Amino acid sequence: MRNFLAFIRRFRVFLLFALLQGIALTFYFTFLSFPRSQFLTSTSTISGTFFELKHDFTKFIALEENNTALQKENLELRSRTIENLFRLENGLVKVDDTLHKVQYEYVPAEIINSTHTKRNNFFTISVGAEQGIKRNMGVFSSNGVVGVIHYAGPKYSIVKSCLTEKVNIAVMIEASGEHGFLKWDGKDSRRGTLTGISNDSDVDKWSKVVTRGSAGIFPEGIAVGKVEKTDVVEGMPLWDVTILFSENYRTVQRVYVVKNLLKEEQDDAESHIPVDVIL
Amino acid sequence: MSQIAKHTLRFFLFFLVQVLVLNQIELGMGIQIMIYPLFILLLPVDMSVFSLMLISFALGLSIDALSNTFGLHASSLLAVAYFRPMIYNLFAPRDGYDILMETNIFTLGTAWFVKTFGLLIIIHHFWFFMLEMFKLNEIVFVLQKTGLSVVVSILICILLQYLFLRKKRSNEV
Repeated sequence: MRNFLAFIRRFRVFLLFALLQGIALTFYFTFLSFPRSQFLTSTSTISGTFFELKHDFTKFIALEENNTALQKENLELRSRTIENLFRLENGLVKVDDTLHKVQYEYVPAEIINSTHTKRNNFFTISVGAEQGIKRNMGVFSSNGVVGVIHYAGPKYSIVKSCLTEKVNIAVMIEASGEHGFLKWDGKDSRRGTLTGISNDSDVDKWSKVVTRGSAGIFPEGIAVGKVEKTDVVEGMPLWDVTILFSENYRTVQRVYVVKNLLKEEQDDAESHIPVDVIL
Repeated sequence: MSQIAKHTLRFFLFFLVQVLVLNQIELGMGIQIMIYPLFILLLPVDMSVFSLMLISFALGLSIDALSNTFGLHASSLLAVAYFRPMIYNLFAPRDGYDILMETNIFTLGTAWFVKTFGLLIIIHHFWFFMLEMFKLNEIVFVLQKTGLSVVVSILICILLQYLFLRKKRSNEV
């Protein structure tokens, strides 16, 4: 026992160091893989309010750019409204549509804090569980995909942005339908990479990359970026595709969160896939 | 101003500057400016390593809470606090440290500052970027980030001391 006490006394500095280090690293690694509490995140009420205040001062910096993007989107949506179309019939046909059902709802939100220099960049947005936000909902802006909800606090949520290592959004090349997953190598906030694109077919430079919509997180066809170059992966029948993001993550402010009303049904159906068939 | 009030005020200043200003700056090439290790350096020489570690843990966690890093800053600042006494001994002046004197660039000289703070901030940045990447095959990128960020951080820390500490020194001496 005396030896033990002597040991503790001798190494007390190192023991405290190891203890605190253990706490910090446990926070870090558990939160990165699966967030359980809002402690230590920017979704807590104190830091959320803090960032709201800060955002009030800085949001004007990128206002010009954001307004232009919104105006462009408005123009596109306006061209799709019914008033723009020439009526071929004169009101005789009435359509009570039973073939279409609303699948996606969108919650508007504002990014109040973001980083873009770290290896894994998380954005804080100003909606949370009280607005019906849940983990794994998609987030996009008028220019393209932004990320996936990583953790939803009561009033604020954290978005795992496209600038994280394993964002793993299912995307496809619009022209050919070849699909793969989006990754980020941590170096350039304007460029991402796609994995899993088979090299059976050529991928044209500047072909559009959009979301695939297979996981039910995003609707199909939301812009992600354009193919900048393709490299050969050594020893694998795959292309290493580098894309140029269509969204500028340094200035994006206004985003939409995707609520998929049929997500539960899809998950339920997919849970019936027998496991032994996959393995 | 009493010592405790001075350091408490500095604690909040370093915290706010890091979270509100430096976290938002992107210089490219993986440079990330982190100056808060300077706060640990400016704490009194005779402070025990326990208090150093607890204070640095608190500062690190506060910065983490507002930059979505979940413990990275706390972990790396803790390493700074842990190694500070050793590095202070390593570069101690011939007749030891004056415990009433603040250890900054003016009282102990530029050479001492660059050596001591340089080593501390290399530990801090390398620890931070290594944990952030957590992959040995990206070591070149980690070293690039560490090297470039260390240079920028040290320059900013020197500049800060010239801007804010000079006057105090002439009052004291």
